[in-house]
Amino acid sequence: MNSLLLLNGSPRGERSNSMKMLTRVAEGWQRGGGQAPPVLHLAQAAGFNRAVKAFPEADVVLLGMPLYTDAMPGIVKSYIETLAPRVQAAAAGGVNPALGFLVQSGFPEALHSRPLQRYLEKLARRLGSPYAGVIVRGAGWTMEAMPEQANRKLSERLRALGEQLARDGRFGEAELKAVAGVERFSALTAALLSVALRLPVMQFAWNGQLRKNGVWERRFAAPYGPAARRGNGDRRTPGFEADLNRGC
Amino acid sequence: MRITILNGEPVPATPFQQYVLDVARQLAASGHTVTTLDLRELDLKGCSGCFGCWVKTPGECVKRDGSAQLCRAVIRADLAVLASPVTMGYTSTLLKRATDQMIPLIHPFFVIEGGEVHHRARYASYPRFGLLLGAEGGADAEDIEITTALWKRTARNLKFRLVLTAVSNRPAQEVAHELTAAA
Repeated sequence: MNSLLLLNGSPRGERSNSMKMLTRVAEGWQRGGGQAPPVLHLAQAAGFNRAVKAFPEADVVLLGMPLYTDAMPGIVKSYIETLAPRVQAAAAGGVNPALGFLVQSGFPEALHSRPLQRYLEKLARRLGSPYAGVIVRGAGWTMEAMPEQANRKLSERLRALGEQLARDGRFGEAELKAVAGVERFSALTAALLSVALRLPVMQFAWNGQLRKNGVWERRFAAPYGPAARRGNGDRRTPGFEADLNRGC
Repeated sequence: MRITILNGEPVPATPFQQYVLDVARQLAASGHTVTTLDLRELDLKGCSGCFGCWVKTPGECVKRDGSAQLCRAVIRADLAVLASPVTMGYTSTLLKRATDQMIPLIHPFFVIEGGEVHHRARYASYPRFGLLLGAEGGADAEDIEITTALWKRTARNLKFRLVLTAVSNRPAQEVAHELTAAA
């Protein structure tokens, strides 16, 4: 049976939503007959250094991360840069581990993570690694914010993906699609959401934390320049539509 | 026009470093006010995902580091030029770490923009944004395209507007002219 190495690329380390999801995938890997995989946290210096050394020795590497400003977190890019010698090794006939990824974001739709998925696909090709696929999941914060019961379906889908990885060496397309959830909201849903998001109740999680920290009155603070107008939350960024269609 | 250049070249005295300097000179020569931040000289502690900039000290990173200078220089610019070599298919760790610390510029609340969920604006206006990429490390056309696609998303979510991506094999003067024309 192949050996699996779990790499957690979340700056929040062990308590992160990425780690919670990776744990479910690892449970499925074991259900599929694999050994319990070692876990290394890139946010810890020791974990990062061990991850650099352990990479060429694993059969399969699963790298999980949160979406940070619509790409990989800085710490993950830093790790990827340490793999540059492995590109040369592969070109010289060396073998790199199979690569699978998990990307979870705070946005509810999967579409935000798709450009990063393309990057990760190319990374596997660059390293000459067999490609296991990218698990994409929106609203990743539910892992932490909701009770396990509410995440039961998601957890089971992640286990199923882990099992496929152990059995087939890659994630199944249908299961990847199922775990991704909503790709893009329909025009009607987006319009309804746009109205609903103006209700303070929709921002209760943030408002609760702002109040707890005694800074709710300062929530719209703009310390470096003129603040956005209140109530402009649904106003479109100038040039947004043009930008959607630009070829740059 | 006020122009801030974020120089994400991690190594001093490279050809790309020289190229960024050339573009900055060309921009200044055309009468623009140019500020260059060499990110490798800025004390950035990195984002640890604490969300303190959204819920503890709204609009500012809780870490007392160079991110305040970074965010101020970006939000006060009309045009922000992000410069970086492309390594392993994407811009440098240095630039990505800095960008991760720009989330104080936006607000945690969600809004709908163009049918997608995005963050609410914190500021009345945001800079246009140009990408200056160094391909000396062997980046191919697909790498440039993927990098641009990723930055387009980043720009959209940070409320910037990506107006130009340029690769350093083009004359600095031409790129400087196009940047200001597009902005």
